[in-house]
Amino acid sequence: MEVAIIGTGVTKFGHHWEKDQEDLLVDAVYEAVNDAGIELKDIEAVWCGTFYPFSGISGNNFSDPLKFFGKPISRVENYCATGMDNIRNAAFAVASGAYDIVMAAGVEKLMDNGSRGIPYIEGIFPPYMPAVSAPGMFALAANRAFKEWGWNREDLALVAVKNHYNGAKHPKAHFRSEITVEKALNAPMIAYPLGLYDCSAVSDGAAAVVLTRPEIAKKLVGDEYAVIKSIGMAVETIHPWARPSETFLSFPATVKAAKMAYKQAGIENPLKEIDFGIVHDCFTITELINYQDMQLCRPGEGAKLIRDGVTAIDGDFPINPDGGLKSFGHPIAASGVRMVCELTRQVLGKAEGLQVKDAEVGFAHNLGGPYSVAAVSIVSRP
Amino acid sequence: MAAITSCNVYIPVWRLERGEITKATGFQSLGGERSVACWDEDTITMAVEAASGIVDADSIDALIFASTSSPFKVKQAASLVATALDLKPDIFTADVTDTFRASTNALIMASEMVDSGKYKKILVIASEKIPVKPSTLYEQLFGDGAVALTVEKGSDGSDGEGDEGEVEILGYSSYSKPQPGAWMKAYDDSMKDFDMRVDARFGYAANLQAAVMPLFAKMGLMPADIDRLVISAPDPKSYVGLLKSVGVKPEEFFFDKVGILGTAHPFLLLAHHLAKEGKIILGSYGEGSDAFLIDVKSPLKSNLEKMVKSKKKIDYGEYLYFREKIGERSYPDSPSPVKYWRDKKSILRFYGMKCKNCGIISYPIGRCCIECGAKDNYEEVRLSEKGRIYTYTIDNLLSPGNYNADGVHPHVVAVVDFEGGGRVFMEVTDIYRGKEEIDVDMEVERTFRFLNEKNGFRYYYWKVRKPR
Repeated sequence: MEVAIIGTGVTKFGHHWEKDQEDLLVDAVYEAVNDAGIELKDIEAVWCGTFYPFSGISGNNFSDPLKFFGKPISRVENYCATGMDNIRNAAFAVASGAYDIVMAAGVEKLMDNGSRGIPYIEGIFPPYMPAVSAPGMFALAANRAFKEWGWNREDLALVAVKNHYNGAKHPKAHFRSEITVEKALNAPMIAYPLGLYDCSAVSDGAAAVVLTRPEIAKKLVGDEYAVIKSIGMAVETIHPWARPSETFLSFPATVKAAKMAYKQAGIENPLKEIDFGIVHDCFTITELINYQDMQLCRPGEGAKLIRDGVTAIDGDFPINPDGGLKSFGHPIAASGVRMVCELTRQVLGKAEGLQVKDAEVGFAHNLGGPYSVAAVSIVSRP
Repeated sequence: MAAITSCNVYIPVWRLERGEITKATGFQSLGGERSVACWDEDTITMAVEAASGIVDADSIDALIFASTSSPFKVKQAASLVATALDLKPDIFTADVTDTFRASTNALIMASEMVDSGKYKKILVIASEKIPVKPSTLYEQLFGDGAVALTVEKGSDGSDGEGDEGEVEILGYSSYSKPQPGAWMKAYDDSMKDFDMRVDARFGYAANLQAAVMPLFAKMGLMPADIDRLVISAPDPKSYVGLLKSVGVKPEEFFFDKVGILGTAHPFLLLAHHLAKEGKIILGSYGEGSDAFLIDVKSPLKSNLEKMVKSKKKIDYGEYLYFREKIGERSYPDSPSPVKYWRDKKSILRFYGMKCKNCGIISYPIGRCCIECGAKDNYEEVRLSEKGRIYTYTIDNLLSPGNYNADGVHPHVVAVVDFEGGGRVFMEVTDIYRGKEEIDVDMEVERTFRFLNEKNGFRYYYWKVRKPR
């Protein structure tokens, strides 16, 4: 599969109390359309993601904000991997030849439903199961990893420090200041052992991409496009805590999605054949486990990578040069789309101030739910 | 002749020193401490706890639940308790309520049922968590807890040899008389009385005497035939007064350690006296009296001492939180009672599934195996009562019972691997404000608890706690 990204649009991420989801979506969509040099009416089909029903359900979540009527539009929802699943649907549709130019978009307004963590959704879990917050879900992995591998809260803090260091330079990030290990360690506890800076924030935002096939892209934008080489996706159980074989030291959905994406793109050694990555750092522990699940190191060595600076922006394998979810916050359905926009900026050499040296091929990774849904995209220069 | 064949006590781990009440309210302390049910315990959950130590589920053919403080006005507690204990569904269940004589009423019923020959083994559980207003005398008088007994046909007394735990109920008699006493009208939210002194002077001793005298006559007894008097009372002073008036030295009344357990109190005292041989008179009081002649031919051990000793102290503020007098508990979800009912074998009886294809035990019961996906190819298995924490977290974004965070009580949850198989995600309870030590690989025990109330429905589920 080769699908061209010819336009990207990303709003500023943050607390948009004064805007609603329609406003954010219009901003992102028109930015992407203008970036591609086309008009909105040239879009033949749309996949638009929203996780929370209050930001609109069905295809109307896109048609009404844009007054874009009479075309095929699907609402996509797949937990925190919603954004990348939008792109997966759109990319395979355009690759099939059914459409020539399509759009994938994601928007989320978390702040409209309160600011204390992501709002609980009714009916996801059986009534008797203990409720668990998103930090709580990933804290289960952290406590087991601490026991198993001797990792500690400082290892986690290093991830936050690295990502905020990068994000401080990104004009569209929610948080644009650096932090220290001490600040991270002394912050209030959210779900032990995850403190405030171990968690990505509750933010609002929207992002959109325009996709087509490479031969059309050349006519429209010359060489100014990026190529989606592959998208892998895997759905596991929503009850990892009920599966006796679950180790909480690896997220099987990521492992499987990564294998799929590497195989589709013909990549045998990701460390050598890929230059950088954007991983789902919803929590600092997640980023460390992602290193392992994405095959950047062996199980148990995730913390060593952050300690040794391997994943710093000037390291051997930069991870989250944009600042990650830690800096952007995580408006659920928008995040995966934004990550692919970031890959595009990087491989086109447009990531001012945050440019990874010789960034030709990168991956982006989404992990959602209680590690139950994962998607991995690989994007390169044409 | 009916016999008591086992006895097990449940006293919640939490204790409130009465001095703490005085510190917070100025209300004069009666000394000692009282037991306090955790916020997620009620008479149903404590009944399950009390019985779970002695029940061989398949052998029970009747369950009688005795309490004045069932969480339901309409809904049988005994049925829910029987289900949580995984008793057979075709047994007789009944609630005996409304008086502190309920426990002894139930014991008479059980004895008659066994004597009829139609029932072999009856579980009688007395359980109390009496609602009281803060800073009142009743708050200091009562404690929370439950006691379970099994009643079976005795060994007809012919062998003469003392089997271990041979306790025969030789006879009983009752006396019924309305007294002002303590009461709660149908919609009252706490215990009330006219003047306790009226009962103390004219009700208590007179009623007991009226019940005991016919028993003596019926059994041809002289006071000298009796080794010990095991008599409950509405308050410790009345108890001491009664025993002194008949020239008997008062015995352990558990007021300093537990408080008066309402209708469970006669059973609590009985548990204490079953550990020592002798003929005893067991007496209860409430709108009259029930009196029993019980022969402890050989001692019957219970866990009473362990339950009294295993304790953690709370202050008055936490007690008020336990009693839902302070703090807000809101819950955004609206779980479906239908799902709760449909999945009761997993939820209440705690059955998982053993896959016949891959052999893995998982929870809850579903059509397809979580490990190998095999369809409709499993047997139902009840998971163990003991397990080990695989991993956990102390979640400050939620509070126990799936409530929104109150900023004080974090939600402690753990992935628990049960002995013999089955992994379940569970709340860890009996942890003071999430501040007690908890760690990976820690051993835990399963405990039946109240979960929350939503849309008027009261949900129960299993949680885990550190072993007592």
